[in-house]
Amino acid sequence: MSAAARVIRPFASRALAQKLPLSSVRRVSPAAGFPRGTVRSFSRSAFLEVKKYTESHEWIELADDGKTAKIGITEYAAKSLGDVVFVELPEAGAEVAAGEPVGAVESVKSASDVLSPVSGVVKQGNEILNDKAKFINESPEGDAWIAEIEVKDVAEIDGLLDADAYKATIDEE
Amino acid sequence: MSGLILLLPLTSSRNSRLDHPPSTRFTSPSRPTPIPCVVIGRNQNPWLETNLQKLHNDREDNANFSDDAVYVRRRSGGGAVFHDAGNLNYSVISPRTTFTRDKHAEMMVRALHRVGAINTSVNDRHDIVISTLEDQPRKISGSAFKLTRFRALHHGTCLLDSPNISDLGSWLRSPARDYIKAKGVESVRSPVANVSSSMQDAPAGFSMQAVIASVMDEFAQVYQVSPDAVRQAQRAHAVEPELYAADSWVAGAVGELEADAVPEIKKGLDELRSLEWKYTQTPQFTFSTYPIEEDPRERPPLPPSLPPSTRVFLRFKHGAIIESCISTSDNPLIAAEQASRVHPALNGRKLHELQLSNWTGLLLGRLSADEEPDTIRQLASFIASKFGS
Repeated sequence: MSAAARVIRPFASRALAQKLPLSSVRRVSPAAGFPRGTVRSFSRSAFLEVKKYTESHEWIELADDGKTAKIGITEYAAKSLGDVVFVELPEAGAEVAAGEPVGAVESVKSASDVLSPVSGVVKQGNEILNDKAKFINESPEGDAWIAEIEVKDVAEIDGLLDADAYKATIDEE
Repeated sequence: MSGLILLLPLTSSRNSRLDHPPSTRFTSPSRPTPIPCVVIGRNQNPWLETNLQKLHNDREDNANFSDDAVYVRRRSGGGAVFHDAGNLNYSVISPRTTFTRDKHAEMMVRALHRVGAINTSVNDRHDIVISTLEDQPRKISGSAFKLTRFRALHHGTCLLDSPNISDLGSWLRSPARDYIKAKGVESVRSPVANVSSSMQDAPAGFSMQAVIASVMDEFAQVYQVSPDAVRQAQRAHAVEPELYAADSWVAGAVGELEADAVPEIKKGLDELRSLEWKYTQTPQFTFSTYPIEEDPRERPPLPPSLPPSTRVFLRFKHGAIIESCISTSDNPLIAAEQASRVHPALNGRKLHELQLSNWTGLLLGRLSADEEPDTIRQLASFIASKFGS
């Protein structure tokens, strides 16, 4: 079974299935629930592009609702960390301040903090990563986001690096 | 931890926004703690990676002081290691920009070569191994890292002369390993050796103090530390555990005094000592006495004192039970009923807070209707023994 399906299937139904394999156990097909998030059409113009970056190699992208945002680590970070073996996800409801850890990843014996680019309240961690930490290496700036937060002050995002400015900081290293 | 030697060259950096001056630090224990301890990685499971039965039980309220080895979870990643008075721990905190995973392992190897341990080298897991004529290389040092925004911590063990070298596995082998399937990081087991074992023929013989002095010298070379600083660090190590400072460096030793007096240090130590950090930081895991979908391994037979139909399944998140299925009956309907009676008593309970008496009381209360009290006691004792409680 795919990782996605395992995440979506409720814990309780799995316990039941272990004891008495019931055919009636509710299963959600992976196709129906995944991938989550929005499929963005090409018609969106460039000035709506709200993906920003930090010098510590996180990205944040504001959703269409204008107040929730996804946070992850950049391609560059994923590459330099190497094979990710575990992702510590934040708990829903946790308050995070800009620059404070909103999660952590472990790779090659290294624990690295993932810092929240802005302040907010955690809506959810990306549960897919619980079962498949390596997904971070495959799609760090896509479906392997780490946390979804409700942003406290959207203006904070404006102050972050845009793609070009971020790229310049990497080149410096 | 009674003493840390500290060498801290204060260098300038292009990053002026740091709260603390960017620095490179070197610490090593001047007076190693006499008690052995087992240290697991940040994202590991103590019930799977250690033998809690053999370790000091810090989970009971009235836990008495004992000479047993202690269990510790560190902040860095990686696997479980063993530490005692014959093991030298080293730590280097350096700017993240110039850090590589092999940099300080190579530094240690040069220091070991200098004292005569010439057959040591860094392997592809960033560990230090010692090659022997007879068999495969044996591990003498393991590394782990913690990376923050501007800094990289590299720390490692170095088995110099451990009296427990032939017996490390007994602390690192869990009685529950056949039953637990854990997310997180699994240890990679390696054959180990003491550095001292390869130095019986060395002209000066083996001495831990010589190794420490040699590491200080190598560190000074890597970071161009002033000779005065090295002298003071060595003095602090050998004579007086104090801090010395000049314009461009700080050297000395940090001990219990600072641990209590400096709020930042105290806060960190309190967190590391807390049962929350040690136990509830554990990634999700399952314990099952029978094959399940996510852990289909064959299981060992149950103890003869339990009915063969006995089933124990537990699922944990943050070290607390979120799902359970415990039953003894061979009748599926009764078994299902038993499990649903037991679960409410277990749901949400933290594993490290469940001692044998808790398991016994709890199971007696929920299973007595259709099971013999003796069998229930046996079941409780079986479960508790697997979790070292």
